Amino acid sequence: MATTATSRRGLAVSLVLTLVISFGSLIGAMSAGWGPKLGLDLAGGLSVVFKPAHATSAANMNEVVNIISNRVNGLGVSGATVHLQGGNVAVSVPGVSDARAVLADVGQTAQLLFRPVLCEVTVPQKVLQPLKNYNGNPCSAKTAFTLANLAVTPDSNSINGFTMANLGPDLSLTNFPTTAPASDNPYETVALPVLGQPGRRYILGPAQLSGQAVKSAVAQQDQAGAWLVNYTLTSAGSPQWDQVATKNFHMLVAIELDGVVQSAPVISATATSPSSFGGQGSISGSFTQSSAQTLAIAMQFGSLPVRLLPLSTETVSPTLGHSALVAGLGAGLAGLILVLLYTILYYRALGLVIWLGLGVTGALLWAIISALGRTSLAPSFDLAGVTGLIVSIGITVDSYIVYFERLKDEARAGRTVRTSVDRGFKSAWRTVLAADMVSLLAAVLLYLIAVGSVRGFAFFLGLSTLMDVAITWYFTRPIVILLGRRSGVQSNSMMSMAAGMGVSNDE
Amino acid sequence: MSEIVLSTSKSGRLYRGQTSVDFVGRRRIWLLASLVVIVAGLSSLGFRGLNLGIDFKGGSSWQVLAKGITVSQATAAVTSAGLNDPNVFLLGGQTLTVQANLSSLSLADQLTETNKVVTALATLAHRSPNQVSTSSVGPTWGGQVTNRALEALIAFFVAVVAYIAMRFEPKMALAAFIAMLHDLLVTIGVYSLFGFQITPDTVIAILTILGYSLYDTVVVFDRVRDNTSGVMKTGAMTYSEMINLSMNQTLARSINTSLVAILPVLSILVVGAELLGATTLQNYGLALFVGLMSGAYSSIFIASPILAWTKEREPRYRELSLRLETRAARQAVTPAMAARMTDDKNSVGSPSSAAAAATVVVAKPRKRKKR
Repeated sequence: MATTATSRRGLAVSLVLTLVISFGSLIGAMSAGWGPKLGLDLAGGLSVVFKPAHATSAANMNEVVNIISNRVNGLGVSGATVHLQGGNVAVSVPGVSDARAVLADVGQTAQLLFRPVLCEVTVPQKVLQPLKNYNGNPCSAKTAFTLANLAVTPDSNSINGFTMANLGPDLSLTNFPTTAPASDNPYETVALPVLGQPGRRYILGPAQLSGQAVKSAVAQQDQAGAWLVNYTLTSAGSPQWDQVATKNFHMLVAIELDGVVQSAPVISATATSPSSFGGQGSISGSFTQSSAQTLAIAMQFGSLPVRLLPLSTETVSPTLGHSALVAGLGAGLAGLILVLLYTILYYRALGLVIWLGLGVTGALLWAIISALGRTSLAPSFDLAGVTGLIVSIGITVDSYIVYFERLKDEARAGRTVRTSVDRGFKSAWRTVLAADMVSLLAAVLLYLIAVGSVRGFAFFLGLSTLMDVAITWYFTRPIVILLGRRSGVQSNSMMSMAAGMGVSNDE
Repeated sequence: MSEIVLSTSKSGRLYRGQTSVDFVGRRRIWLLASLVVIVAGLSSLGFRGLNLGIDFKGGSSWQVLAKGITVSQATAAVTSAGLNDPNVFLLGGQTLTVQANLSSLSLADQLTETNKVVTALATLAHRSPNQVSTSSVGPTWGGQVTNRALEALIAFFVAVVAYIAMRFEPKMALAAFIAMLHDLLVTIGVYSLFGFQITPDTVIAILTILGYSLYDTVVVFDRVRDNTSGVMKTGAMTYSEMINLSMNQTLARSINTSLVAILPVLSILVVGAELLGATTLQNYGLALFVGLMSGAYSSIFIASPILAWTKEREPRYRELSLRLETRAARQAVTPAMAARMTDDKNSVGSPSSAAAAATVVVAKPRKRKKR
């Protein structure tokens, strides 16, 4: 530490900055309406862990995660996560009210279907009851994707090799409800979203072929470097496909997986008349590498590459989750009040420093947790996380206790309050660092190794331990040292700083 | 040890760090007390085993908020819904929990049965089926949870022992390790003795306890290291006396810290779990409460005495102890003091000598300078 004058200014700056940053970020987070991303057990919802029925490659497992992610995201809920956990797939969908219905959707066997595109529609403004059991063709004559309306003409001068009329969406059908994946019946007319094209849906007729006709599919580049998907049909599938192709010649056939249209190519657009595909075909268009691969994978593994068995499933009702949240907050508050009372009784004026310090820590933590809740970096804030935070109250307050007990040591050795605060901090700082290091070590190891809710617990414990180190240096040190320097003319009351240090000014 | 905290006259001394408890000399008592708890726990573990939750052995569970419904009413309802031998209990007086094993049924039948019980419970509690929480765990999931927990535990032990051995010294790492092992055994023993259910949350809690106990031990050892390079240099006290001094100096902190840690946990247990009925909180709270008590005890009464015991076996500290003992005998003038010395000859730091050490710390070096 430099001379008293400069370090004094430094201390004051550090103190003011800490207060401004912590309470400023809290106000910022609250006025932005940010809040923690509540976990399953607090918000209610569904969590499933699937295990592959037999050992399979890592690539296959990643594919499983992709397919299930598509399914879950297709449900239109926010905050759902699907990830690999060890060799298993963990799915978590918080905040759904009817968790068991979602479970049925997520767990269903995937089906790949080829359906004729009847017409295009946009997405409804309001949420509608999902469509169930519809037969027939609702499309109006002008916008229907008929042979005449589409007017596909081979044209070697065009980039795609053909020209086609742009029919646009059928606006009269905007409020036509989307079909839920669970009620996606191959024999009925459905309205489905299009992968990667938000705002666009297709009305599709009954399926004319299933994914079982496809033997393999692979994403490749043509000579010009454009991505396309080459597929091979099974011997039984080849004539079936030719029939479909003839029936839909110069029209669109949607390749649908799990209630989402993966692609809707125009059949034989560059040919002038229908002919046999000979068991092989190729889909081209404005593919990127990844969209071509996605389609190829979807066609090849219409169903999941490996059968999944549920290892554990959990549904939490929102009411139960809410009561747990109330309980967690209640427990936290009660514990905090007990701790606050104890510190003020034991440390007097120094206890107030702990109060303010906990306020700073709490404000900063809330702001950070709220901000992290808007990203996918942090685990969601669940009951285990709440417990981690409650436990960290102890660790945070302990840093103050270590320092204040050192102050008492220094005061007992006959030093003035003014010199005690500097010397005391130096030795306390080393202790706090060593002890927090152990706590952090535990949190990091738990986070890396453990599964499930343990990770959330470890994350929030680790976060608050890091905060403790920062707050001790940037807040506790300046405030106590500054208070100590002012305490030359202090009163001898029960609430004085000296009273908290166990020395009286009479001595 | 409790009277130190409770009696008013001594609490003043505790506040000023002037207590004179002989932590090292009475180590046999402390170790024996721990040994009794651990042996009781381990024998219960041998006979009764652990009450593993469905996450470890597989099974299904249902939960619903149901005020005013009795366990027998609920049992009757779920039994008529087709559950064999269900385990029904009320948590916090309002969260009705039903556990059963459906693994003998096919996957499809399990789903049907799960929904039947959901309907039965919803009807009973006058709630919509959406308000019944369910959970089903395959028998292999528990094995994975356990394995990951064990991996985490071993990695934690290795990392912590390495860290302390580097930052402090290997003997401190050993003492801290034994203290952690103590807490682990005590907690598991208590769980077995009282038949508390082990859930994945319990495992988390146990890992936290170990971290906490260690945290406490590290703070004490930090002071020991301080004193080793401080008062020990004067050669005026044995290693055990120095540890006693360090312990008494940090006693107020240890007790404060433990209280501050235990208060929120107690609040988790009482407010969160009992009054408000959050079962996850109860699982954490119980393990944390038992473990934190054990952790506070072990860092004071196990880690430090063991450190003193291993260090006293080092030649330089043994010589120091011998030299100080003979000098003390020579200085003994009064017959009373002489008698006390012979009484306590075998114990390294008696209560009286520790008390002397605590007050002598400042005085003795000055005496030496005069000589």
